[in-house]
Amino acid sequence: MSYTELTVWTRGIIMDKEGRDIVNSVAAAARLEGKFAQAMENYVDNPDRTNAPTRKYCRVSDGQIENALTYENEHPNIVVLVEETMVKGWDYMRGMAPGGTLVINTHYSPEYMLRFVPGPERLSQLVCVGAAKLADHKWLYYRLGELGLDRLSTEGAAERSKAIAPDIAAPIIAAIVKTTGIVKLQTIEPMIANKAAFKAALDELHILTLNPVAA
Amino acid sequence: MSTKGTHIPDWLKVPFAGITPAPSQEKGQDLFPTGNWRAIRPVYRDKLPPCNNACGTNEKIQGYLDLVKRGKYLDAYALIKEDMPFPSVTGRVCYHPCEQACNRGQYDEAISIRAVERFLGDLGQALPRDVVKAGPSNGKKVAVVGSGPAGHSAAYQLARLGYGITIFEKSPKAGGLNRGGIPDWVLPQHVLDREIERLIEIGVTIKTNTEVGKDVTWADLKNNYDACVLAVGLIEPNSARAEGENKKGVFYGLPFLRDIGMGTSKVKLGPRVAVIGGGNTAIDCAREALRQGAQEVTMITVEANTAEMPAMAEDLHDMVEEGVELLHGRAMTAVLGNGQVEALQLYPARFAGAINASPITIDREAPAQRFAVDNVIIAVGQRASLGWLPDEFKTPRGSIKIDQFGRLGATNFFAAGDVVQLGSGQPLMVVNAVGDGKRVAFNLDKVLRGEQLQPRTIAIDVIMDLNRMNMTYFPHFPRVKQSMLEPAERRSTQEEVIQAFSEEQAVEEAYRCFSCGTCNACDNCYLVCPEPCIVRSGRSNGLYKILVDYCKGCRVCIEECPTGCLEGVPELDFDTGVVRMDTAFAITPGLHGRQAAELEALAGRPAKDIENWR
Repeated sequence: MSYTELTVWTRGIIMDKEGRDIVNSVAAAARLEGKFAQAMENYVDNPDRTNAPTRKYCRVSDGQIENALTYENEHPNIVVLVEETMVKGWDYMRGMAPGGTLVINTHYSPEYMLRFVPGPERLSQLVCVGAAKLADHKWLYYRLGELGLDRLSTEGAAERSKAIAPDIAAPIIAAIVKTTGIVKLQTIEPMIANKAAFKAALDELHILTLNPVAA
Repeated sequence: MSTKGTHIPDWLKVPFAGITPAPSQEKGQDLFPTGNWRAIRPVYRDKLPPCNNACGTNEKIQGYLDLVKRGKYLDAYALIKEDMPFPSVTGRVCYHPCEQACNRGQYDEAISIRAVERFLGDLGQALPRDVVKAGPSNGKKVAVVGSGPAGHSAAYQLARLGYGITIFEKSPKAGGLNRGGIPDWVLPQHVLDREIERLIEIGVTIKTNTEVGKDVTWADLKNNYDACVLAVGLIEPNSARAEGENKKGVFYGLPFLRDIGMGTSKVKLGPRVAVIGGGNTAIDCAREALRQGAQEVTMITVEANTAEMPAMAEDLHDMVEEGVELLHGRAMTAVLGNGQVEALQLYPARFAGAINASPITIDREAPAQRFAVDNVIIAVGQRASLGWLPDEFKTPRGSIKIDQFGRLGATNFFAAGDVVQLGSGQPLMVVNAVGDGKRVAFNLDKVLRGEQLQPRTIAIDVIMDLNRMNMTYFPHFPRVKQSMLEPAERRSTQEEVIQAFSEEQAVEEAYRCFSCGTCNACDNCYLVCPEPCIVRSGRSNGLYKILVDYCKGCRVCIEECPTGCLEGVPELDFDTGVVRMDTAFAITPGLHGRQAAELEALAGRPAKDIENWR
């Protein structure tokens, strides 16, 4: 049975929660819509190292997902890079079927980012969203290093963990949902803590359309 | 997870989920190209220290302080000589804008840069042969008019570029303002003589007693030379516009100093001397008057206090220490006396505008003050004598009209020094004239070689700010003071007032330099990097390299760089450094998939085969 696969690539510690929020909220919204969904983290990666690459997976299907034992998405339809530099480092396009979507959190243009993408012929659209700026995340935007220090401390950790997408995850979720329609916007919006950034992102997406797939 | 100390069968010794060789093991690092963990790449980028920027001739001050620190005095001297022909002179007379700009001044006390420069200049003077040579001759001849700081600098730089230089000097001795405007107790004659010798040694011809307009005409300069640099300076003293200035016993500041400097002075001063003016020349005149036998010297200024005087604060302090009195807020309106100065008529006065060059408002309603003196020295500025210059190149304020490159129209004439900087807002100081001469020399060279002239610009963000440096590495340390003669002793001698640094003092002072924004090979990045990502082939600026395949972008080196020469650049700004890894710990594509196939096949094998799998 076929299902839609969403793979999120993120950085250990400093953006780990952002990646988790994305897959969890999409899966939860899908279940609310009566779909079947899975969301999990990758056991191979070690997310407890600052900046180490970490993957989060989500599967959404109209029917029962029988694959309950493998945790890697072999053929992602949607790939999300929570940190822009990951575009240079990893083979995140592996296994993607034609007509896929790549969402990158960056203030660079999709045309600039395209040079780093391996196998762009498999993409139907490349979406860039300046999430750090939209969420007014000063640490991430100006001093990435301090964000890591902040995440290592326990101050305010409980509040941060309870809220879903209080920061840069909100615009990224908006970008995913709006450009792919994996779930409905009105289903997922009530879960998002940073509603202002979520709404702002809907109008601030930079979408580069590539290789349209015949319906 | 490391496999060290664990027996691992061969078939598992591939980069495998969680089981990989430690970086310390053989080929361990090859399997861990953690470079793509990095969002920010550390880059060594030297910035401009504020001292270099503030210096009139942009001496590489941080560079030579660093060399002095390492005991490489000759290299340091050679580095100064790139921009400054006479460090022994500026090491004594400079108004050191570098020290005002020094970042250390905001931390404890500025570096005594001038004293280190003097140490190096004196070292150069003692050398039997200079480190600088004339360039290979290019057969072109350039005339330089004036042998003052600007002319000297232009001639020096052009001679190094291979031009045949002739300097025309009006006075019997070369040196211009260096000789005629600076007293012996600041700059001894023999120091300047030696620097002039150095200039002659690199092939420059100096024709003294040759005045432009009289002995050499404009047409001579135009026809006999490929190009010409006019560095004639400001040689005519301004009048104070008082009545009776022609009386006996009235002197003008610059000629007064010049005659003493040239050894042609016949001045005999009375016991009471007044100096009119509040600038640096006036201060030199007042202090020189004491040494010429005056008992009471009074400086009369229009400025209402010392803070407003356009003079160097430390010279002012030394002058007051020597016993010169100050009388502020007065203007001299007449010199009284019968043929010989007996007294001055003073009125309260102030400047009409905000700056010292604005017109003076004299309060004639107030009662006049009679100030008894035997001599008066008027030092209220100088102007140029440009009778020989074609009118088209004159400006209304009495200087030479030039474009931004120091060129006179489309001619091969260039002008430099005080004669063009008058009224430009730039201080009329030796080092500014030297810098002007240097820049004009390079522009002249470009014109003669037919190259396009480029305006000189420095991006403001590359001048290093104290806030961008790591102060943890710099303990507070007081400035090394230059010893000075006692004030009472100074009044009766022409000996140098400020004493030179010893070698130990110079090194100690050089060690205080922050090396703002410039790598000084402190090895700190090399030591703090948590991964072996920084390599160096030698301990020197430019020899540190970052292994971008392994650098995780943890920023430790950037945060810990004391001088701030390391900076983080977003990785996406580089097209290079693309490494495609399959997962966090697998370097070849599909490695996990291959492992999976091998692992699946394992189940069907007999147990005894597994140990001898290959």
